[in-house]
Amino acid sequence: MSEAPQTGASAAGDAEAAHEGEPLVLTELIQRLKVRDVMTRELSTVSRAATMRDVQELMRQKKISGVPVEENGRFFGLVSIDDIIRALGGGYIDAPCSRHMTTKLVVLEDDMPLSFALRYFDRYHYGRFPVLNRDRRLVGIVCQRDINRALLVELAHELNRLENATLQAADKASARSVHVLREIPVCRYDFENAGKAANQIKRVLQERQFPPKLIRRIAVAAYELEINLCVHSDGGVLSWRVSNGRAEIIARDAGPGIEDVEWACRDGTSTANEWIRSLGFGAGMGLANVKRVSDEFEITSQKGSGTTVRAVVNIGELTV
Amino acid sequence: MTLAELSARCGLEAVAVPDGTVAVSGAYTSDLLSDVMAHCPDGAVLVTVQNHTNTVAVCTLVGAPAIVLVHGREVPEEMRAAAAREGVALLRTRDDQFTVSCRLGAVLGVGARCAGDGEPAAGTV
Amino acid sequence: MTILEVAEALGAEVLVKGEGCGRAIRHVVASDLMSDVLLVDEDDLLLLTSLASDQVLRTAQIVGAVGVIVVNGKPLPSSMVNVANDLRMTLVTSGRSKFDACVGVAAALKAP
Repeated sequence: MSEAPQTGASAAGDAEAAHEGEPLVLTELIQRLKVRDVMTRELSTVSRAATMRDVQELMRQKKISGVPVEENGRFFGLVSIDDIIRALGGGYIDAPCSRHMTTKLVVLEDDMPLSFALRYFDRYHYGRFPVLNRDRRLVGIVCQRDINRALLVELAHELNRLENATLQAADKASARSVHVLREIPVCRYDFENAGKAANQIKRVLQERQFPPKLIRRIAVAAYELEINLCVHSDGGVLSWRVSNGRAEIIARDAGPGIEDVEWACRDGTSTANEWIRSLGFGAGMGLANVKRVSDEFEITSQKGSGTTVRAVVNIGELTV
Repeated sequence: MTLAELSARCGLEAVAVPDGTVAVSGAYTSDLLSDVMAHCPDGAVLVTVQNHTNTVAVCTLVGAPAIVLVHGREVPEEMRAAAAREGVALLRTRDDQFTVSCRLGAVLGVGARCAGDGEPAAGTV
Repeated sequence: MTILEVAEALGAEVLVKGEGCGRAIRHVVASDLMSDVLLVDEDDLLLLTSLASDQVLRTAQIVGAVGVIVVNGKPLPSSMVNVANDLRMTLVTSGRSKFDACVGVAAALKAP
């Protein structure tokens, strides 16, 4: 029962090749992030003399499912919920944990890339891995939730950075015209988020110091089209592009389609129900409103299939 | 004040007024019919952009004698028919809600009353 | 006159002071239909509405409103204050009906 914990070298070996087909950002991220960046550092541990019952109590208090056995940084093993269940069944719950802890353990090292940890979780089906440093001292523990949380935070940072870099690159690429392209999914009846895309468009254009009148027309078109997707379609995508003297907004959905397009574009006509009207929408001015603020307006639709609306506002030779 | 007098003094277009002698006691401005149902006082004219049959139905329920449509919005034939059936007057203005509400307020003399204290709406929906 | 001064005249409660709260009101719009609001071509407008939803704030941002006054003493969904902060939009609530608020705002704007 005194075997030293080992790192799974074979698993580490094929970690390198395991991420083909992933977006480059993600591959780069899980290589760049180290285990120490995602692990939990505040550990609840016990000494070897603690009983299995002590461990069970600690698990209950801290709501954790694995407790490392450690003395002054030296790591001896891990007690998991399975070990506790076996102790209860076997009648040795009051025995010292050093006799019943798991010692044949796979551990991670703190400077391994995150990709190794992911591979370990895939391969070994453990809920958590203890993390040791170079001096074989226990420095943390990693469970899948830690990884998910860290990845989400990092991905958000990364996406922000990429978005800004794209915008800056576009600015540099052309001093006389602005290139922006975004695609935003819009879900049916998602009133909580409807309008966010248009708010964002307005903000971007304000940052680029477009004339307020133009911003307003572009934002109004985007907002109405976004609300339309939310109210009338089964869900779709709002995309917008600013380039070559034009701001173009396209709302594309996969259904249910419009029977009489001409009727739908008239002022005051609507198929919205009372519930949607109570939210302040569906007054039947949406498409007419888009038409009013656009220099070009085009709608194609077929009952039973999707609808695509394209609105263009001419922005002329704007510089940023 | 009678509906005919109010209409004339506020320069409203009479689309269909079955009885100009009905008394008007106030006004209520809303596009949310559930709000109208909950809060519109009896005898108040309803200022709204909602040009459909449901508006007439709600006015009948709360005892509003007239609808003032803003923005010169078209009156659909069904709405006209429903209003005639229910005896609700249809008035119209090219102005917006704010402008016509202010004008109605001045003519009805509510300005003095409401400059002081607001009426908290009881039991909102 | 600013929305903060109007709010004071109405005895209304200011929940969020956004970036437009110091600008002079140049136009007033009363409406509960957001499409209706989007039709307005005026700058620095004040929006009076009985609709209490995030969409009111999003619409107000699109048209560059100085702020929003939600009337009828409506209980606001908890998200509204967050969205207002996020969009830096001034948010005010008043217990008056929209009709009374219109008359009150007009009186305040006319006052010396």
